[in-house]
Amino acid sequence: MTTSLLTRGPCSAARAAVTSNQGLQRLLFYLAALKFTDKHEWVRVDDNGTGTVGISNFAQEALGDVVYCGLPEVGTQLAQQDEFGALESVKAASELYSPLTGEVVEVNTLLADNPGLVNKSCYKDGWLMKMTIANPAEVDALMDEAAYEKYIRSIED
Amino acid sequence: MCRFLWLSAGSPVRTSDLQLQFWMQTGRPLVEVVRLGQVSYKEGLRLQQAYVDRHRSGPAHALLLCQHSPVYTTGIRNKPYPAPLLDRLRLLGADVHRTNRGGLITFHGPGQLVCYPVLHLGGFRKSVRWYVGQLEKTVISLCSRLGVEAATSPHTGVWVGDNKICAIGIHCGRYVTSHGLALNCNTDLSWFGHIVPCGIEGKGVTSLSRELQRDVSVEETIPHLLDAFREQFSCQLTEGETPEPQQNSGLSSA
Repeated sequence: MTTSLLTRGPCSAARAAVTSNQGLQRLLFYLAALKFTDKHEWVRVDDNGTGTVGISNFAQEALGDVVYCGLPEVGTQLAQQDEFGALESVKAASELYSPLTGEVVEVNTLLADNPGLVNKSCYKDGWLMKMTIANPAEVDALMDEAAYEKYIRSIED
Repeated sequence: MCRFLWLSAGSPVRTSDLQLQFWMQTGRPLVEVVRLGQVSYKEGLRLQQAYVDRHRSGPAHALLLCQHSPVYTTGIRNKPYPAPLLDRLRLLGADVHRTNRGGLITFHGPGQLVCYPVLHLGGFRKSVRWYVGQLEKTVISLCSRLGVEAATSPHTGVWVGDNKICAIGIHCGRYVTSHGLALNCNTDLSWFGHIVPCGIEGKGVTSLSRELQRDVSVEETIPHLLDAFREQFSCQLTEGETPEPQQNSGLSSA
């Protein structure tokens, strides 16, 4: 059931939204549009055809409180699975891998002063970067929410 | 029996699937202990990378142990450390290195036990938060075995009161860990006086020797670290071959 992904973990945006039906509808629509990688990043294709990229609730829980986001320069060309940055938490720098091939068009500058957004709002305000989508087939090949939830259960044992 | 073939480039090649066999028999990951002795920080980085690369062909967990010649290192948050500050540290006779680990500025030098676990977290638990917590618990257990009461705090690392006895800073890429921990055994603590260690104002540093009021060497500490690590990570340890230093690497030695 799609609600299980929302209510698990401290992703407070998810919890707050679930308490109101209208919020639930909105968040369900939101999450339904996300595709996931096996490295726990998500991509959402925006109306203008760019992809917004972030990390999943599973990933932000496994990291702990994020204290620093190392993000790429706008204009950086990325191939799928290229390292595009790192998040630091508990003195651990964890690399980020590009879910798609494309060019970075925007990075979330709010994270410089408020890196904790990645924990508090991993699917919304804690987005990391936006990129062009050079190869739409790459998006289709990523996991949808149901497949990703199955994947998490399989690695959690 | 040499289990590793050292190529002219100086990288190890695993010639057996001992690790996989062991795991399949016991369910506990096998971690190879590699004693590097005293090495420059640069050489330590090169060796870590070689052990990280080993993971590409299957489980190859390793625990690198060493001491470094005096060096100050910074992590991925390097904005607080502009070049002029680092140049001043070089004038003290230490090396200076920027790195890709987490954590802020710290010092490594003789008398400090530096431990680099190069593990694939898929063999343990896929969470860096868990992993860092395990490193902290390992060091607390080690300190306890020697009679020092240490603890964690809101700041990552291991503390005796307001003084840090062990710094931790790691890097994780594709679930493979590098960098690790640095435990003061009989380190000359005056080196820390030139920095704000780990960027934490108002706190100090300490060592096993200072806490126990006797000389505690790296050599004395290593067996306790290995016991604590084995217990905390529920793994088996095996002694690896000590790698030969790289010849004609093109890198200047520290």
